[in-house]
Amino acid sequence: VTTDLTDKKVSANPTKTFFVKMITKDILLEDCILDLIDNSVDSAWQREGGRPMGLSEGVDLSKYSVSITISPTSFRVVDNCGGMTLDDAVNHAFSFGRQATETNENYSIGVYGIGMKRAVFKLGTDIKIRSTFTDESKQRVPFSVPINVQTWLENDVPPWDFDIQSDAPLEEDGVEIVVNGLTVGATRAFDSPSFVQNLRRTIARDYTLHINRGLKISINGKVVPGVQIELRTSDEFAPMHVEYKDETDGMEVSVEVIGGMFAPPPDTSEPDEKGDSENPYGWYVGCNGRIVLAADKSTLSGWGVDGWPVWHPQYAGFLGLVLFTAANPAALPLTTTKRNVDTTSEIFRRARPRMRDVTRQWIDYTNSRKQALEEAKEKERKAALVSIYQLKKVEAAKLPALTARRGPPPANVHYSVPVTKMKKLAQALGNINLAYRDVGLKSFDYTYGELVGDE
Amino acid sequence: MPSFDAINYSLRPSKSIQRQIVFDGMALLPDVMDLDRLAYIGLGSIWFTDFVLAHKVLRIDDMVSIEGDDIGYSRAKFNTPYSTVRVVHGLSTAILPQLFDDTSLAGRPWMVWLDYDYSFDESVRDDVRSVIENAPVNSILIITFNALDRKYGQKPADRVEHLRKLLGAVVPDELEATACRAEQMSVTLTDIGLDFMKSIALDIARPGGFVPAFRVLYRDTTPMVTIGGVLPTRGAARGVKDLVNGTSWPARPAKPIMAPHLTMREAAVLQSLLPCATKLTRADIQKLGFDLEQDQIEAFETYYRQYPAFAQIVS
Repeated sequence: VTTDLTDKKVSANPTKTFFVKMITKDILLEDCILDLIDNSVDSAWQREGGRPMGLSEGVDLSKYSVSITISPTSFRVVDNCGGMTLDDAVNHAFSFGRQATETNENYSIGVYGIGMKRAVFKLGTDIKIRSTFTDESKQRVPFSVPINVQTWLENDVPPWDFDIQSDAPLEEDGVEIVVNGLTVGATRAFDSPSFVQNLRRTIARDYTLHINRGLKISINGKVVPGVQIELRTSDEFAPMHVEYKDETDGMEVSVEVIGGMFAPPPDTSEPDEKGDSENPYGWYVGCNGRIVLAADKSTLSGWGVDGWPVWHPQYAGFLGLVLFTAANPAALPLTTTKRNVDTTSEIFRRARPRMRDVTRQWIDYTNSRKQALEEAKEKERKAALVSIYQLKKVEAAKLPALTARRGPPPANVHYSVPVTKMKKLAQALGNINLAYRDVGLKSFDYTYGELVGDE
Repeated sequence: MPSFDAINYSLRPSKSIQRQIVFDGMALLPDVMDLDRLAYIGLGSIWFTDFVLAHKVLRIDDMVSIEGDDIGYSRAKFNTPYSTVRVVHGLSTAILPQLFDDTSLAGRPWMVWLDYDYSFDESVRDDVRSVIENAPVNSILIITFNALDRKYGQKPADRVEHLRKLLGAVVPDELEATACRAEQMSVTLTDIGLDFMKSIALDIARPGGFVPAFRVLYRDTTPMVTIGGVLPTRGAARGVKDLVNGTSWPARPAKPIMAPHLTMREAAVLQSLLPCATKLTRADIQKLGFDLEQDQIEAFETYYRQYPAFAQIVS
């Protein structure tokens, strides 16, 4: 007997539970909060005309703010960035992913149409999204979308939708998202002082270009300060600053590459006590103004591949920034979590040789510096920090040519002592924070002076 | 010099009050969590004052005292107050990991009170981390350390940097040098120290987290800080939080303890006026025939129940 297979099909419909679990699995809580900030920033940017994001664009974001309130029992973010329109809510904001026909030509950071849903599902189960916007007839329109995740998951039958309700207007046009019934992960994180401190640091770094343009982001009432990105400039030091246009799949991308000396390199090539992961040196990558990769010293930005040497503490002091700007964010070398660069992107790969050129120059400089330390230090001292917004266009970085001087060969000393004794000695030498190396040098100088006599 | 050679532990009234406040708090915890077969781990020195309280107030039998000094170890062994006190020779950083693997201490809650006589340094940080990461559920961790500002760097700005290096992410970026000066330093160390403890528990996802419960600032000759909390089971966490955040919780006094040094006679006469519906004044004391500063009177009034009586025995 043969079974009749005519008209038989296997079911391939997704379930809501699968969706919720899958989209929230591979993203950090911190990134979810950044996704929500991205939406606010996109809204503000849209209101300011959705212009390109280059450093020379003088856009003022000082009238916009994003306030985040977190506690172990609830999460709230509210902005005054114009609000989500009813049309946006009905047709786009709550769909899982953008439709192929949707165009997105506004220099936004959101690409995939997943950020807000993913964020709220990751945060908790009792969600209320409120928006107030001003429509074309200048009427303020408030509405809200409440989501009870447990109830919503109960029925998988399409269409998947959320109810829109009328609501009281927000104080200013904008969006408010309140999440209660926090997940265990969110409860734990929001109770942790280090999570909150680190979130502030991440926001300060990743939105520094927006904050520098006036955007105010606050956490639990405290405004997050931006980070000033500056490079040293003098007659002999000039950071590289180039700008060019590129294209991918018919979409234009502006690329700005900046690189140079942020701080003088260390006198020694030994790792400092802070460790490479905590210092600000390395490459930064920005996509439509959002920093997606910071202080990178790994193969992601190119170290250790394509003829670049692997990062070494000797290269500390270098800071590079590559900014990609595109009307359509799909053209940007951005991963879905926006916390990394898509290294397969042709736009990014084509930027790498320019990044490599300035990096190479810096490496060569730090090599020659070892033979002419005093001369180099003197020249470095004369270089003043200049904001990246004021840097002139320079095709190739300018670094001083140094004259090698030969002295007696150095003797290197390496020994281990208990850290508590080291700290006590540092304190006795006048500064508890002295680097171990400096404690060693000062101890040597002291003993040398006592036993041999000053030269 | 080991601290037992420098300090006669029994002659510090604020220290004594602090100790009793901690045990007053401890005595309330069994109402909200299972402290059956509680073990005590401390730095008993040669005096074992906290061990005696642990045995008498909390009825703890199994106790471990960690002693790093060679002579101190020999004297500590000689001075053990009870047969169930075990003295272990070594630094706490080395001994604590051994205790985590000790089968006689496994599967039961611990009260760990690391009463250091020095400042919060790298070894204290490492001890705190290892206890929070490894102590059994329903354990209690308390540490005491020296909070004198200049122990953390000569200039206030040095202290900020030092704390940042020592405790990392929990130190707020906006911590100002003024917060690391004089009495304010004790408050800063207390707040950041408790945040540090809480963050470690959350980082390793301890099911019940870390519930800050002990926050006692006191001063005899130098400012000291006692901080700590509970590492409850997930189920006990709510009850512990309610207890330690309630008004009857004794182990978080609002003001630093600065007990006056009183003679037995002064203390006894003052005590005979207490409890008193109205606050005692300087005039009240002068009527008794002696005199005290107002803050000394207030301190005695607050802590007369715990105020120790010291006497010299001439033999």
